[in-house]
Amino acid sequence: MPDQAHILVVEDSDIVASAMRVLVESAGHRVTTAASIADALGAARSDPADVVLLDLTLPDGDGLVLIEPLRAAGCRMFIALTGHDDQATRDRCLAAGCADVLVKPVPARELIARVAGWAEMS
Amino acid sequence: MSRTEIADEARRSPVSGDDPRLAALESQLKEAIVEIAELRARDALKTQFLANISHDLRTPLTAVITHAEILRDGILGDLSPRQMESVRGIISGGRQLLNQVGEILTYARGAANQLALVPTRFAIREVLEQVSGINEPLIKKKHLALSIEVVGDVPPLTADREKITHIIGNLLGNAIDFTPNGGRVWLRAERYAQRPDDTLCVEVGDTGVGIAPEHHDLIFREFAQVDATPSRPHHGTGLGLTIARKLVELHGGRIWVESELGRGSRFFFTVPLEQAAD
Ligand SMILES: Nc1ncnc2c1ncn2[C@@H]1O[C@H](COP(=O)(O)OP(=O)(O)OP(=O)(O)O)[C@@H](O)[C@H]1O
Ligand SMILES: [Mg+2]
Repeated sequence: MPDQAHILVVEDSDIVASAMRVLVESAGHRVTTAASIADALGAARSDPADVVLLDLTLPDGDGLVLIEPLRAAGCRMFIALTGHDDQATRDRCLAAGCADVLVKPVPARELIARVAGWAEMS
Repeated sequence: MSRTEIADEARRSPVSGDDPRLAALESQLKEAIVEIAELRARDALKTQFLANISHDLRTPLTAVITHAEILRDGILGDLSPRQMESVRGIISGGRQLLNQVGEILTYARGAANQLALVPTRFAIREVLEQVSGINEPLIKKKHLALSIEVVGDVPPLTADREKITHIIGNLLGNAIDFTPNGGRVWLRAERYAQRPDDTLCVEVGDTGVGIAPEHHDLIFREFAQVDATPSRPHHGTGLGLTIARKLVELHGGRIWVESELGRGSRFFFTVPLEQAAD
């Protein structure tokens, strides 16, 4: 088990975010949640995350715009979690700097396994 | 005078010059044009609504499924066997709903011309095997015999792999749905026998209930089902073939069926081996 990682979950639906929190915490990591771009910027500046799980459609804009400022704030790895399961969206996320793109809902077990992998890589 | 009466009247004695009937016709025509434009706009709005609502439905469904999987996987503690059964019910119902919502979303995007091709190069056999793998549990459950055949020398295809997978998935899903237990279903790909020979032809066939010739066009229309009564044995959105046709046509191909009632069905579609990159 690597050191505990800090995972920032950027997700505007609180019922989805609470499920993600349970999953990531059950993998032994620390979780911060943010419901908007503004929230995420604030959270990352005071406490940068090792891994950011990024929803694409946020109330104040496209989640991908967060990658640059969050990286500058010290966040290391970005994973897109999207409702769009098309190749064009995937390509767009990878081009913006995401290390991986997953389509929601990610099966619970798979998410736990992946978080462990990312935490180790980040 | 109604619109048809005016038109009939006009046919009987052609209007000319400052005939007052001409003015009436002109204004009727203008009204009709405005009405058509309004209907088109309303139709586009409804399609957009369908796309938005089906996309938005994914979020609460994601919450339902993920929370239920947390329970199923024992992350919050062990469940009794009966609790487990309930939770599994929630998950499989949620996943079914998610699939149907996904189909409606694809349909609405197609109708609004919001689907773009992302071509890559791949072997058609891989897709045939992938789709049959996904359907294996159902095929086993119904004791169907499935065969996969790639005839002769088929070069790799440049197309939108996801969409080709979707087309074959919908066709095979139907073949399984409409074939009684113990029947045969097959997937077959070959270079199209007719010109142009730079075209691939894929067949999805079954020995099932078949389709009467008078329904061969109908089934490709949106929401159309041969048996649309609420008590029908098969449930679904009636969008599977509409989506398949849309995705085939996006590739510049054609889709059709050869079938008779009670004698099984053979669905065919063609796609060019190369997609012009855009
Ligand atoms: N292989 C087949 N054998 C017999 N009938 C078929 C077959 N494939 C399609 N049909 C007929 O065509 C209709 C339309 O098919 P389509 O896939 O569009 O919708 P569906 O299967 O009814 O619903 P869904 O695909 O959303 O589950 C079916 O309801 C059925 O009547
Ligand atoms: Mg179908």
